[in-house]
Amino acid sequence: MLVWALLMFSRPEPGVAPRIAAAVTLLFMVTLFYQMMRTYETHRWRRYFFAALGFLFPVGFIWELIALRGTMSIPVERMISGDTPFCFMVIPMAIVPAAIGRTVVFPGSILPTASNPHAVAMMVALWLAATLVMGKGWCSYGCFFGGIEEGFAAVPKKARISKIDLRWRWMPWAVLAAIVLLSAATLSPVYCSWLCPFKTVTEYPQVRNFETAVQMGIFVTLFLGLVVALPLLTRKRTQCSFLCPFGAFQSVFNKIGVFEVRLDRSKCKPCVLCEKACPTLSIGTDALESGKPRLSCMKCGACVDACPRDALVWHIKGTEVGAAPERARLLHLYSAWALAVMFGGSIIATSLTKLIGLVA
Amino acid sequence: MGAAGLAAEAFALGVSSGPVCVASCAPVLLPVLVAERKAAWGTGALLAQFLAGRLAGYLGFACIAWLLGASMSGQPRARTWAFGLSDLAIAALLAGYGFAMRRKPFEKACPANWVRRFAARYSSFASLCLGFASGLSLCPPFVAAGVRAAQTAGLPSALFFFLCFFLGTSVWFAPSVSLAMLRRLEAVGIVARMVLFLLAGYYGYLAVIALGRAYLNG
Repeated sequence: MLVWALLMFSRPEPGVAPRIAAAVTLLFMVTLFYQMMRTYETHRWRRYFFAALGFLFPVGFIWELIALRGTMSIPVERMISGDTPFCFMVIPMAIVPAAIGRTVVFPGSILPTASNPHAVAMMVALWLAATLVMGKGWCSYGCFFGGIEEGFAAVPKKARISKIDLRWRWMPWAVLAAIVLLSAATLSPVYCSWLCPFKTVTEYPQVRNFETAVQMGIFVTLFLGLVVALPLLTRKRTQCSFLCPFGAFQSVFNKIGVFEVRLDRSKCKPCVLCEKACPTLSIGTDALESGKPRLSCMKCGACVDACPRDALVWHIKGTEVGAAPERARLLHLYSAWALAVMFGGSIIATSLTKLIGLVA
Repeated sequence: MGAAGLAAEAFALGVSSGPVCVASCAPVLLPVLVAERKAAWGTGALLAQFLAGRLAGYLGFACIAWLLGASMSGQPRARTWAFGLSDLAIAALLAGYGFAMRRKPFEKACPANWVRRFAARYSSFASLCLGFASGLSLCPPFVAAGVRAAQTAGLPSALFFFLCFFLGTSVWFAPSVSLAMLRRLEAVGIVARMVLFLLAGYYGYLAVIALGRAYLNG
């Protein structure tokens, strides 16, 4: 956090707004981390950061788009010139065409340019570093889209829809398979063109014909359904659980990540509070029997916080389960919070700068 | 050019454009290969069915290309109709296969005996039908082969050219038998069925757009 503060305060941006934004962000992040340490709760405090990231990211992003282009929509000519900011969602779609055809199926640039600072190489390097350490923890600390639905999911006190057919949790894998196959066949980022709900609050192709109108309709419908309505009704991260192909792709890296959540079965009386608390349907009878959550666990810590008997614990692979859970939690938090501050904190501070500038 | 020269040219064209053929056909082929979680022999049989259907599609297209006297690629409207119809066929076949894998909805919903019988048996030859529909679609290597086939001396030469081209591209499909390894994963069947419906939606949309464009431009 100190390194981040030094970086933020030494930025050559004019005016007082960036300093105020950096100070507010720093105070926010320090307070949350302190509360995590003081209360031994992870999810509750992480959620404040994550929702702030989710809701503030579009503010800064849209602001930047309007400053650069004068509109949220991206014209075809800007796509052709490689000015589309790269998003990590493209990574699973890009692998096969890049490996087979040496083609990057995204209208962005590999290295940062003046007109497009969000380049492919930068985002891939950041994602890879975070993923190798945290596995699917990226989805709880790095994904600036997940925060929006987590924010909506936190609003109701009780879920209105509690029974969900568990077969739907396989849908992200199906979407992943479909988009990887179609992207290789068409050499285009199919998910971005057709299914990404977050186009609604970031950027979208300029509506020029029937096809782009249909695409826009799909984006808005998916956003309102999966990111707003269903999280409010279920208290789950429904877009992450039932659509996001990147989340499915990221699940594979849970096999590599060092940190995980495990169940001490000797302490567990199946009260299913953890199952209710899990925002991604990663805990069920099968998971409780096997002693660990399903592969889709994004290490948010909701189940650990919810367990009244401390049966669910943080764990470092290769060590004894339950031997030093608080040490495992702290080590996980150090890496996760470093990502949260460096990446998410910068996004929050940038967006706050714009808002302060608007007010002042 | 002699038969050997023509065969070598077609085979070389097939081998060199095989990866593009695999990428074009993979969205249709791969979900079918994993959906029923068969062992290597069963998956190989499904692949053989698909390739046989694809060969029939190729030869059928070769006849059309030669009989028209020129490649369809030179006629935008005919090409759009062909695109639309092949996409529509693929969408219907994929969705039908997804339903046929769980026959109960058909048995409940369809009163006609022949529909029930067809649905019950469809999954056993869906791979063949999908191969045929894929064979008729105009992927870039296929158009290149079609143009060359149309320039040959006669219909038998055009058919022979497509046969050799098919053999060249088929080399690249063989590794997909290894997908049989996925059958141990319980969720593979569910995921594959979902993929079938997603892809059916995608091809259905493409078909509607292409047919609408062909009709309006008519």
